[in-house]
Amino acid sequence: MTLKDLDKGQVTRRRVLAASGIGLGAAVLSPMPLRYALAQSKPYRIGSEQPLTGVAALGGKTALVGLQMAVDRINKAGGILGRAVELIVADDESKPDSGRRKVEKLVTEDNIDAHVGGYLSNICLACVPVFTENQVVNMISVCLDTTLTTSKCNKYTFRPYDFAPSQAKAFAPHLVNKMGKRWFIAYADYSWGQSTRDAYANEIKGNGGSVVGTLGIPLGTADMTPFLSKISGDFDGLFLIFFGPDSINFVNQGTDLGLRKKYKWAGDGAVAVASQLPALGDKIEGFVGVDRYVPVFDPPLDTPYLHAFYDEAVERLKKAGLENAAPDRYVQSNFEAMNALKLGIEKSKFQGRADSEKLIAALEGLEMKESADFPTGDKLLRKEDHQAFVRETIFEMREGKYHLLDTIPWQKSEVPPACTFA
Amino acid sequence: MRDRQPLVFWTGFAIIVALLIASPLVLPPFWARFVTEILIWGLLAMSSDILIGYTGMVSFGHSAFFGLGMYGAAFVLLETKPPSLWAALAAGLLAAAAAAAFVAYFSTRLREIYFAITTLIFSQIFYIVIFTWTELTGGENGLTFSRPALAIPGLFSLRFTPMVLHWFVLAIVVLSYLLLRRITQSPFGMVLQSIRENEARTRAIGYPIERYKMVAVMLSGLFAGLAGVLYALQNQFAAPNFVFFVLSGEVVIYNVIGGIGTLVGPILGAAFFLLLREGLSRFFTEYYLIPVGLMFIAMVIFMPQGLLGFARRWLNR
Repeated sequence: MTLKDLDKGQVTRRRVLAASGIGLGAAVLSPMPLRYALAQSKPYRIGSEQPLTGVAALGGKTALVGLQMAVDRINKAGGILGRAVELIVADDESKPDSGRRKVEKLVTEDNIDAHVGGYLSNICLACVPVFTENQVVNMISVCLDTTLTTSKCNKYTFRPYDFAPSQAKAFAPHLVNKMGKRWFIAYADYSWGQSTRDAYANEIKGNGGSVVGTLGIPLGTADMTPFLSKISGDFDGLFLIFFGPDSINFVNQGTDLGLRKKYKWAGDGAVAVASQLPALGDKIEGFVGVDRYVPVFDPPLDTPYLHAFYDEAVERLKKAGLENAAPDRYVQSNFEAMNALKLGIEKSKFQGRADSEKLIAALEGLEMKESADFPTGDKLLRKEDHQAFVRETIFEMREGKYHLLDTIPWQKSEVPPACTFA
Repeated sequence: MRDRQPLVFWTGFAIIVALLIASPLVLPPFWARFVTEILIWGLLAMSSDILIGYTGMVSFGHSAFFGLGMYGAAFVLLETKPPSLWAALAAGLLAAAAAAAFVAYFSTRLREIYFAITTLIFSQIFYIVIFTWTELTGGENGLTFSRPALAIPGLFSLRFTPMVLHWFVLAIVVLSYLLLRRITQSPFGMVLQSIRENEARTRAIGYPIERYKMVAVMLSGLFAGLAGVLYALQNQFAAPNFVFFVLSGEVVIYNVIGGIGTLVGPILGAAFFLLLREGLSRFFTEYYLIPVGLMFIAMVIFMPQGLLGFARRWLNR
């Protein structure tokens, strides 16, 4: 059957069926380059489970800004291996049951090729079996729980940013040698706070300091006065492990009770993330923290990559309705997690879920170099536990702004692996 | 006409069970799994109907019973090698029953809002203990574990594929329904309904009200715990969120939507609520709770007897 036949009106059912059969057969038996080209026309389907409602909604929306920014940049540059990236977002409602259900949908119904996301650690942990059963690579982008890459590590789970033990290793020498030998740790009394407390207590002791006491405050405690009154005695510094409203409450109420005048304050970077600086006001003055990213441009962080990342992220945060927010570590880790996946896909020539093993092999030991894709510097995604080690930034809050005190290269934040893949 | 009623009921029952048996064979994997989940939430809702619908006691403690069933099973699945399904089931039921007995002892002396508040406080106590006792419960992160095999030692051992799990859950939910139906139609069930209608008069007749209420709370807690065990089996994790009182609130919503005092109604309510939430979330991403809330308000106003009550009225018309 030719176009000429069609013109003559000689189209019969038999001829149409025959032509279709020939076409289908040709497609199946066609040489590899053509099939490859056909496959290339399909976008990579990347799923992302984020908390867009519920208690972590603000953080989830901020995280999504970073992820969308990376996807848009990739698509603008021609996609990955010539294929566009389609981002499929699911709201986990900040609840593990919903998160699990939404991830099931992403994996079984939306047929995602890989996943980048996860904000709350309990949801990240709850979803691990779904990715494992369906052999989908899961690039987590915010979840901090230590066990994700230690006791509960998993072949399909990758964490392309830091965790408490590596932050503690990077920060402890500064705490002990430059701020004081004797420390008191106050922490949010739940799993993240507890595991972070243990990591810092170990490292402070390991560097010749001592921890004279610890105090756990239940999550969501509005009136912290009864707890804060227990913080007294002879020590040099108060180390804080809080985030969100708890850190705002602690800083405000602790300052009112005179703790800031009495002791030096240091803590996890989550205490002073950019998005909550307006609420902390001048009470966060003098706080020394550690983080993988803070919006500061003191040398050596005065790089064109960090400037470009900051400028674009600020614009996008504004568009997302987060007017006064500067990009924080959640924007950064989502941005870089997507770029790490891109690098892995390029390296492995990953075409879809069937190639997950190849993608895992490419991601294991992946070295990321400081660039527009990885503005926060060089990093390594370790093969043994799928945990990344990144450059850490030690900063001090002065006049409502971050001031760089030191940067610690990723090599000095590396801790021994504690993972056995099943 | 009256003679035909059981026939109609059992025919309808058989058709629904047959459809549920066939569902994993015909539905796509996501929806097949979703039906299994609906059955589990339906069992939880049905368990609370014993109190809300039959005894007239609104409980906000069901999240604790559900959660403790889940954690009881989780501990056993983590500790036994190889993990045993039946030990997990027994541990979950035991944990939920013990918690229900404890709550019942203190709360059944109270009535109406005071009973509801007491159960809420108890569920919050359990929640805080689970949330902060990280060494044992995993704290906020909860516990993750492997799924055991469906096995009877020496007889057979079957891997829990999604399909096998669905049929296992369905069998337990159907048996639970039949058992609860029998209980609610028994003299014991009649006394519970009498308490709901007029507690003072029931006491005057000579029934030990507190004892009946205690048994009702324990029975209800036991089935809530069973739902918790099934959820743990399906999802391979236990988390403190399931012990938080908000879950109890959702269970009350399932009852109200479906129709209280019917056993089937709460299952229907759970299915309707979960499907509605799933459907709307696909169109309104993060704003879907607004139409869900509006629809719930409309249902309370225009269908106070729930979906089942509305259906009955419509059929009788």
